[in-house]
Amino acid sequence: MTSRTGNPALDAWESDAAWLARLERDARRADANQTPTQRRITAALVARANDVGAEAFALTGSTARSARTAISDLDFHVIGPRPSRTGLADEIDIVATDAARFRERLRAGDDYVQWTLRFGCVLFDRTGIFRDGLKILSTERLWPDTSRKHARLPSHRRHAERLIDLGDRDAAQEQVRAALTAAARAILLDADVFPLSRTELPGQLHAIGRARLAFALRATIDDVLSLPDLEAQIEALDDTERATIEVARSLPSRA
Amino acid sequence: MSPKPKRELARQHLETARVDLDGERYGDALNAMFHAAEAAVVWLADHHGIETRRLHWVKAEAAERLHAEGATDDDHGDLLRDLNQGRKDYWYDGEELDPDELRAHLVAVEALVVDAERA
Repeated sequence: MTSRTGNPALDAWESDAAWLARLERDARRADANQTPTQRRITAALVARANDVGAEAFALTGSTARSARTAISDLDFHVIGPRPSRTGLADEIDIVATDAARFRERLRAGDDYVQWTLRFGCVLFDRTGIFRDGLKILSTERLWPDTSRKHARLPSHRRHAERLIDLGDRDAAQEQVRAALTAAARAILLDADVFPLSRTELPGQLHAIGRARLAFALRATIDDVLSLPDLEAQIEALDDTERATIEVARSLPSRA
Repeated sequence: MSPKPKRELARQHLETARVDLDGERYGDALNAMFHAAEAAVVWLADHHGIETRRLHWVKAEAAERLHAEGATDDDHGDLLRDLNQGRKDYWYDGEELDPDELRAHLVAVEALVVDAERA
């Protein structure tokens, strides 16, 4: 076998047999990782996506990784029109893009697109766009570009601080968690570690010596924090800002 | 320190959204509208014994129930869903925001906040 990465999920584009095997593995994984209610929702969305002419459909996020928490969304990545969520009771998040935008985002270093290809459960790929994406990812040795993530961190932080100042604890916790998650993903990618799902990020951060950010993110996932606690946790972003400078000075070549 | 009432937070978020919209900070305005709408629904739901928990979809369903029970003039369930999806599309996918659509959302959110203030 002429495997390019040694990772069966990533090398699945190379032959029809390997691709079929991945689709079968992904279907089994999606089935095993979902509750009966979630399976019904996913089946309904797959049918609706087919009805509106979607090219491809994947289950993504913590469900694909079997790492759900009480606040996890049920995440999907659709190539084509976004199917309707009407009547489906869950925290459903559907990212929908057309094929051209999908390829453009892949080559531009978008980590979410790569996440789908690396870890998502591909449930259908009618036109072969996901398989083609994997080929591009593998042969062009793409790695996400974190510059946009770093550039957005000040906005995430400003928004979180505004909510803390306003006194909306619920909204502030969600925004602090979002800011820390974005920072964690950027830091991990800069360290050549591909970020998994949110609840797995603290463990990945510990492994690269980023304990402060890891503890802060873990607290916003597991605990109900007071406003002063949230104010303290958001300061973990200070480490990220310092890291940004270090990374900018030593940007590695990923040729 | 006791938490600020959601009704009060809803109004503050709404006014923040208005200022952001006037200042053409559309992403910030969208966030503030979403928080205003959720705070208003949580306030109303608490008054009607409807569970909202920490999940956005539960709040959207609560908004539908509030309308069904006559607590609001309009069904704001889809408004909450649209605002939630819109902020994700903007902040994570870089989608453009339509100022006219945001202004229309602001009117709908204000109606919801007014409903909460009457409760």
